[in-house]
Amino acid sequence: MKKLFSLAVLVILSVFLLAACGDDDPEVEMTDDGKRLVTFWHAMGGGPGEAIDEMVNSYNESQDEIYVDAVYQGSYEELLNQLRAVGGTSEAPSIVQVYEVGTQYMSESGFIEPLQTFIDGDDDFSVDNLEENILGYYQLDGDLYSMPFNTSNAIMFYNKDMFREAGLDPEQPPRTFSEVQEYSQQLNDATGEAGFAILIYGWFFEQLLANQGGLYLNNDNGRSAVADEALINGEEGQRIFEWLNEMNEAGTLGNFGRQWDDIRTAFAAENVAMYLDSTAATRGNVEGADFEVGTAFLPVPDGMDPQGVIVGGGSLWMTNGIAEETQEAAFDFIKYTADPEVQAVWAGATGYFPISPEAYNNEILQDIYEEYPQFTTSVDQLQNTTLTPATQGALMGVFPEARNIVENAIEALYQGEDSQELLDQAAADIEEQIERYNQQQGN
Amino acid sequence: MTDQVAAKQLMDPASRDKEKRKKARKNFWTAMLFMLPAIAIIGFFLFYPMFKTLYFSFFVVNSRGDTISFAGLSNYLYLWESSTFRTSMKATFLFALYTVPTTILVSLFLAVITNEKVRGIPFFRVAFSSTLGVSVAAGATIWLILLHPSVGVFNNLLAGIGFDRIGWLTSSTWALISVSITTIWMNLGFNFIILLGGLQNISEELYESARVDGAGYWTQLFKITIPLLSPTLFFVSVVTIINSFQSFGQVDILTGGGPNNSTNLIVYSIYREAFESGFFGTASAQAMILFALVLILTIIQFKFVEKKVHYQ
Repeated sequence: MKKLFSLAVLVILSVFLLAACGDDDPEVEMTDDGKRLVTFWHAMGGGPGEAIDEMVNSYNESQDEIYVDAVYQGSYEELLNQLRAVGGTSEAPSIVQVYEVGTQYMSESGFIEPLQTFIDGDDDFSVDNLEENILGYYQLDGDLYSMPFNTSNAIMFYNKDMFREAGLDPEQPPRTFSEVQEYSQQLNDATGEAGFAILIYGWFFEQLLANQGGLYLNNDNGRSAVADEALINGEEGQRIFEWLNEMNEAGTLGNFGRQWDDIRTAFAAENVAMYLDSTAATRGNVEGADFEVGTAFLPVPDGMDPQGVIVGGGSLWMTNGIAEETQEAAFDFIKYTADPEVQAVWAGATGYFPISPEAYNNEILQDIYEEYPQFTTSVDQLQNTTLTPATQGALMGVFPEARNIVENAIEALYQGEDSQELLDQAAADIEEQIERYNQQQGN
Repeated sequence: MTDQVAAKQLMDPASRDKEKRKKARKNFWTAMLFMLPAIAIIGFFLFYPMFKTLYFSFFVVNSRGDTISFAGLSNYLYLWESSTFRTSMKATFLFALYTVPTTILVSLFLAVITNEKVRGIPFFRVAFSSTLGVSVAAGATIWLILLHPSVGVFNNLLAGIGFDRIGWLTSSTWALISVSITTIWMNLGFNFIILLGGLQNISEELYESARVDGAGYWTQLFKITIPLLSPTLFFVSVVTIINSFQSFGQVDILTGGGPNNSTNLIVYSIYREAFESGFFGTASAQAMILFALVLILTIIQFKFVEKKVHYQ
């Protein structure tokens, strides 16, 4: 009896121990019918999620050696949190989609295999086929660590019917900050609904800053050397906050919180006439609305030329804990996603724009652009972008925190706090986070 | 046999003590052996993580859980100086203040009225305890739909009767109240069942004799029901306070800690610090502070409040 008992205890303990260590040589995972299995984590729900499933299905049908399993993991933030738990082990998926601001973090995470190694070893694939502005964002010291996948920028959507109701010309959307303010007032007077809104998401602040040529961080946005200073409290940032503040005080600005779906619902329910959203929402907005939807460039402060936008969206990263053969299979799929034709279908189904200029010549995409002229705004906006450190976008390892800090500042602004103080505090908080991150990285 | 007994009686006191100690030691190890599975499981899943958290709270830890350098008390000092942490402590206490008394009072009220013997009462008992069967995630999602900024039921009602819409979840002044209302609703079921059970345990004879003595409804309520219910009330209050300090799911689903950290309750703040920002050191320090806080509150309750509890 006693023996049996200690045996049971021993078994329990060893199960724990095994669970605690494990992970030796990664094995090539196979499907039941003998294909190499590539797991692909993505953060695309709704329409884009369906488009990914279609893309993966057509890849799986196009050949019989590799099977890609696409798994939706929630928002970008949630996906990254999941990845942190398994990163660097064989439990990790083969491919992960990470948002653009996770680039620096991922490159330093120790979870990933730089894609450049595979690109160098592949004669068929050349990065020259990719859009220059997109490469500008994702190349770090000339190396491509991940494959741009879904690229977007921020544009303004507006309700043409509400414009007409307010006596505004629906073909002349506002282009400057003060025009937006005037239009909002008129729209609000005529309809009683909010004239303008932005989603409380740090990305829009970054875009509005870059469009003025403003830097987020010192050292060329952290691209020439590791940044240690936040510049968001300069005059460019101040202009954005003042602009939002004035509309908020005038009661023409809507606040629909931090959730993408909420602000889109508000737009569809005609609770707001103009708002900023990612180009990824184009298809959904145009098809989901009972009214005529217009798209416009991101506004700039008066008397200023728009400098263009930062490439947003996400890229595909390959993990390093998996078997080499799986990595090769994963690279094959990644190459497939970058194919101009695949990109054309993807862009047409979502509103993201293709990463290779060749895709624009594709018939599928041309038809869609003809049917939905709203799509072309973002393409024009991207192509009008001058590549500078400001529009290349900032690099730092604590971007999610920085965004959260800016979001908190915007929320406090809406509660009537002083814009300059908020920005100064936000800049100081971001610098503190950078310092903590560097300390943690052992720098 | 008798020889042996005789021999034992002949033994000097010192060796008899030794024998006793030996026996006690043997008993101890046998007991330990029987408790081993429980100890192993609790130790692995409770004590080990707890000590690891304590250990982490004194180190700079990277996002993969490796300790980088010894930090002494600097994680705690960082929290002491952090305005975000202060905001989140304040929100946590306010949240407890909003939810605990209200939950207990409302569920007590519901329990008292459904303790009457009236036709159809089982229906109400089931209805009032039904939130017990709703998971945090599902419950919070229901409220998310009700509180939606543009198409929510509440805002549509307000707009319908000519009031301005309220930023239930998007305004710093309302968000904590909205989260509290959701929490109160979710906790009602559990508290209701426990309190109703307590009420049913009170002997009917007490009420009969009280009525014979001419006591009215309120006298019965305050002289019999409440005092005899006090052990249950005490239990419910301890559990509700601990729960309120550990609330997480509804915050995650409804507000994500915002707007401007107004609903960044401490457990959510720990989660964000550790799993979103990857600062396990300061997150562990926060967890230790939460542990200390709950421990102190519970000790206080047992030391001072329990004295007023009337056990039969």
